[in-house]
Amino acid sequence: MRANSSIASLALVRDTFREAFARKIFWAFFGCSTALILFFVFIMRVDVVEGALATASIFGKSGPAQSVEKMVAGVHAVIANFIYSIGMCLAVFASAGLISAVFEPGRIELLLSNPVTRYHILLGRYVGNVLVVACNLFYLILAIWIIFGIKTQVWHAGFLFAGLSSLFVFSVLLTVSLLAGVLWESAAVSIIATFGVMVISLIVSAKSTWERLLSSEWSRDIVRGMYYALPRIFDIGRINNNMITNQPVTDWAAVWTTAAFGAVMLGASLYFFARRDF
Amino acid sequence: MTDSAIETEGLTKIFRTRWNKREVRAVDGISLRVARGTTFGLLGPNGAGKTTFVKMLLSATHPTSGRAKIFGEDSRHPKARLPIGYLPENHRFPTYLTGAGMLDFYASLSGMPSKERRARIPELMEKVGLDKWGAIRLGKYSKGMLQRVGLAQALMHSPTLLVLDEPSDGVDPIGRKQIRDILHELEEKGVTIFLNSHLLVEVELFCRDVAIIHHGKVAVEGAVHELTLGSGYKVEAENVPEQLETELRGRARGVARRNGSLQLTFATREEANAALDQLRSAHCEIENLSRTTSTLEEVFVKTVESAQTLEAANAGKQ
Repeated sequence: MRANSSIASLALVRDTFREAFARKIFWAFFGCSTALILFFVFIMRVDVVEGALATASIFGKSGPAQSVEKMVAGVHAVIANFIYSIGMCLAVFASAGLISAVFEPGRIELLLSNPVTRYHILLGRYVGNVLVVACNLFYLILAIWIIFGIKTQVWHAGFLFAGLSSLFVFSVLLTVSLLAGVLWESAAVSIIATFGVMVISLIVSAKSTWERLLSSEWSRDIVRGMYYALPRIFDIGRINNNMITNQPVTDWAAVWTTAAFGAVMLGASLYFFARRDF
Repeated sequence: MTDSAIETEGLTKIFRTRWNKREVRAVDGISLRVARGTTFGLLGPNGAGKTTFVKMLLSATHPTSGRAKIFGEDSRHPKARLPIGYLPENHRFPTYLTGAGMLDFYASLSGMPSKERRARIPELMEKVGLDKWGAIRLGKYSKGMLQRVGLAQALMHSPTLLVLDEPSDGVDPIGRKQIRDILHELEEKGVTIFLNSHLLVEVELFCRDVAIIHHGKVAVEGAVHELTLGSGYKVEAENVPEQLETELRGRARGVARRNGSLQLTFATREEANAALDQLRSAHCEIENLSRTTSTLEEVFVKTVESAQTLEAANAGKQ
């Protein structure tokens, strides 16, 4: 019998889903997403007359009349920012346990005794985790996009892009959890490390303000270095908003530097995992 | 094709503490050969390095020096692990999986196609006596049941080398017998079985070859029947006249009476032969003449004690 790596890869991804189901992580996200979807299906009423918003009401209360496009872009932006901030924190919090669980003594030895490489095991878990979040994210984003499309006839693709960019940032932040999990085998440390990166990234995102406030050149260099080295969560959030509100995006550098950070973290995770003794 | 299932050469593992870099030699230059198709027992007191040795065979732990080969393949390559079925000690199977789900998952990691897995799962669950438990989550299994489903997991992809770490830990005597029967069946099929166990009686009953390791080194290695073979001779006779009995008692290493028979143990073959001649001359009935044997436990205790004495002497010299 020859080791078939596609069967093994699929098994590793499927196992992550099973664990997410068992830990109720998947169902918790699914429940929250469904509640939000039902809110827009049943609570929000929109009447469009000749391309303009005649009346819009939530819980029966009407708001001021405005253009449909503007209203849809506004609601999309609110939802996208909610997913990008609160949803991201929840996803990071929930995923850390899925990563560190693999390193439990008595479980990892059995995984390693199989004819698969260590890279395979770690990447299988990582991809599985990203897919768990992707399923929930696109369930919510697509459902809301379709509901608004049907109710307003505005099919704005920028909102879908927001889903993709949220998933991208999550997959980068997950590499921090992954590295912390490999090094310390602790869900708590993984969460702290990932939130630490998120907070520092947000602090240094106000680079120009810090450059004005800091007196010494070396401290300004540190802020600049961190700004470019860490994931640029705030800047990508701004790109999201521009896409949703149909404004031009002039600088994509935030995406590339964030991707580079993720690649370095993932590479480091694989390197340390390959060298570790269990 | 190599005739060794496992071959290690100077396999060493040194653990270093993170801060003061203090060294612990868990495995110290073990060179061992396990023949294809044999049943091999690895013995040793707690902390002797048995589990570290097994983990190095499976590449869960990286050797500091030396190398290990599985059927001639470097153990570091994933391909070398393809013929291995493994049941770890203190395993922690994912409790969210059902028995059947767990077998399916680990067999998938071996690259076993879905159709084969579906056919093999009920067959093995029945073999380990858990045929009605396939759809139940592992969280509901008792310790003995987890051992049995763990054994089924190790057998899923029909391995040619089975590495079992304390396989009957927590299993009741009937379950233990059941496991032994399964292992005997595999042995007959030519599967090499590598057993790491504290249960010396179990190893003695099942294994053909053993190695006893102490402080990371092989203290004794060989076939069980050779290691347990004592150096003395036992003569058993009836109707021994009192005067002759008194005379023989003076020369024998050990004397016992059982069901009216006199059992005499002599240190050498010459002494035993001389006693036999005298007993024959006195028209005594000879019941039995055999080599003395030790239990594996006696061999184990003796080996560990002499290794400790040697270490103490070496430490004294230094």
